[in-house]
Amino acid sequence: MQFGIFTVGDVTTDPTTGRTPDDTERVRSMLTIAKHADEAGLDVFATGEHHNPPFVPSSPTTMLGYLAGVTKNIVLSTSTTLITTNDPVRLAEEYAMLQVISGGRMDLMMGRGNTGPVYPWFGQDIRNGIPLAIENYALLRRLWTEDVVDWEGKFRTPLQGFTSTPRPLDGVPPFVWHGSIRSPEIAEQAAYYGDGFFHNNIFWPISHTKQMVQFYRQRWEHHGHGPADTAIVGLGGQVFLRKDSQKAWDEFRPYFDNAPVYGHGPSMEDFTRETPLTVGSPQQVIDRYAAMREHVGDYQRQLFLMDHAGLPLKTVLEQIDLLAGEVVPVLRKEMEAARPAHVPANPPSHAERVAAARAAGTEGAAHVGGTEDRWTGRTAEDDQQPANAGAAFGL
Amino acid sequence: MTASTPAPDRRLVVVSAGLSKPSSTRLLADRLGEATVRELQGLGVSAEVETVELRDHAHAVVDTMLTGFPTGELAEVLERLAAADGIVVATPLFTTTYSGLLKSFVDILDKDSLTGTPVLLGATGGTARHSLALEYSLRPLFTYLRADVTTTSVFAATDDWAAAEADAGGGLPARIARAGRELAEKVALRKNSGPADPFAATPDFTALLGGL
Repeated sequence: MQFGIFTVGDVTTDPTTGRTPDDTERVRSMLTIAKHADEAGLDVFATGEHHNPPFVPSSPTTMLGYLAGVTKNIVLSTSTTLITTNDPVRLAEEYAMLQVISGGRMDLMMGRGNTGPVYPWFGQDIRNGIPLAIENYALLRRLWTEDVVDWEGKFRTPLQGFTSTPRPLDGVPPFVWHGSIRSPEIAEQAAYYGDGFFHNNIFWPISHTKQMVQFYRQRWEHHGHGPADTAIVGLGGQVFLRKDSQKAWDEFRPYFDNAPVYGHGPSMEDFTRETPLTVGSPQQVIDRYAAMREHVGDYQRQLFLMDHAGLPLKTVLEQIDLLAGEVVPVLRKEMEAARPAHVPANPPSHAERVAAARAAGTEGAAHVGGTEDRWTGRTAEDDQQPANAGAAFGL
Repeated sequence: MTASTPAPDRRLVVVSAGLSKPSSTRLLADRLGEATVRELQGLGVSAEVETVELRDHAHAVVDTMLTGFPTGELAEVLERLAAADGIVVATPLFTTTYSGLLKSFVDILDKDSLTGTPVLLGATGGTARHSLALEYSLRPLFTYLRADVTTTSVFAATDDWAAAEADAGGGLPARIARAGRELAEKVALRKNSGPADPFAATPDFTALLGGL
């Protein structure tokens, strides 16, 4: 079972001090948080993708590429990568690049995004959300698995003889999750491809999360990937920890009461009862999250939202220490003890995926050769002529 | 030990959006519900009535607007409303239209949850001059939700409550009886088959892919 953190990268005023970090400070704090999570021994760091204030992480692969260089063990991921408004060609290239740079220590999660205006900013229409997610992902997969792609679809200009570079590391694309809160079509998509399914969970009653996960599991089995309980499931979660439960409540309450995502709505008492938000001691968090498997079955990845609502960086780092030091070791042991032997403990790693692909003979070519460049520096008129290697350099 | 009673043939939900307690809106809602049950009995159909006072759920309604999901008792109310065979809705009229509490409640309903459901509308107000508010504000709201709204809706002004029962014909009791009969006839003909299951309705992925 993997445990990690996921961030939305919000810039929010600390209600106890009135201080608001600027975007530069916030980006740097995310880097510090990710490095700290790696050092503390957490398994996953995932960043969201947003293109509107008050959120700062617009460029996940830039951030994760840097983190690949300065962290050692942690899996770098996204929560989520926008499959609807990003060009699938760019996604294929950027994440293959990240895969190479991180040595396969990454995966990614697709999402449609939940901010309506983002669609027109990138030339799309939110009413096409589901069809965009379906078509773009189908193309992304082809770009990763086929060296030369001819393609024509509804939402993007056609491709003729296109090769996405670099090729996926060892000829095997990254593992992909599909995140969805309420669209069964996306759970169906994850099940069809045998990809992972992630439910954000944090602002929803567990009864809702349970329905979505069950549907994904049934469809996973239907599409022939194995028994329903072997499907790869991830959940979000949200906690605030202090060794003393009352201190946790007292410290977190002003953040809860004022945060845009929670504030001025249900009381913290109501919200902690109805959603996975758990405020309290490490033992209370362990009890609450150990029970998740009773609702959704044995699952492979649990991510926590820790740096949000205006919490200062120092507090976030303390939260990570408490999570990694006191909660995760116990939870991991309990989850592992309950897991049936045939259910995967973790989502597939790059090494496992490479081994599986080699055994099945399905891996792609790991590399493309690069001796001939017909295109660089040439004009459209030149293109009428047969290619002449080296012409661009006047040789 | 008591002998188990057979399940009723139909389930009605009566929603009162009155804000005071006691409330004349609740009184009207109850009478509309009773009239419907009585008329159903005349048709040989047994019915059970659940009454919902929106006032009791006012905070939860606003919380739902802020969080996007209903919780606790309100979540159960919404489920039972979506499963009801017939609905009575009664509201006080404020500033020419239904109460803000009723609109907020309607706003958190799933847009398909009342599709085809027989609905009887009632309203209370100070004078008869408000009586058409039912027709120009409340009826379009439920028509938009594709509910099956009865032809007769019942407006009760302060004067109506003082009128004698004997004042038949156009009197309030007669209007309540007529409206109850109309709702009963619709309810008798249609049993709620439950809300559509979004999971059952999800197409297979090959169909989704092929539809592009």
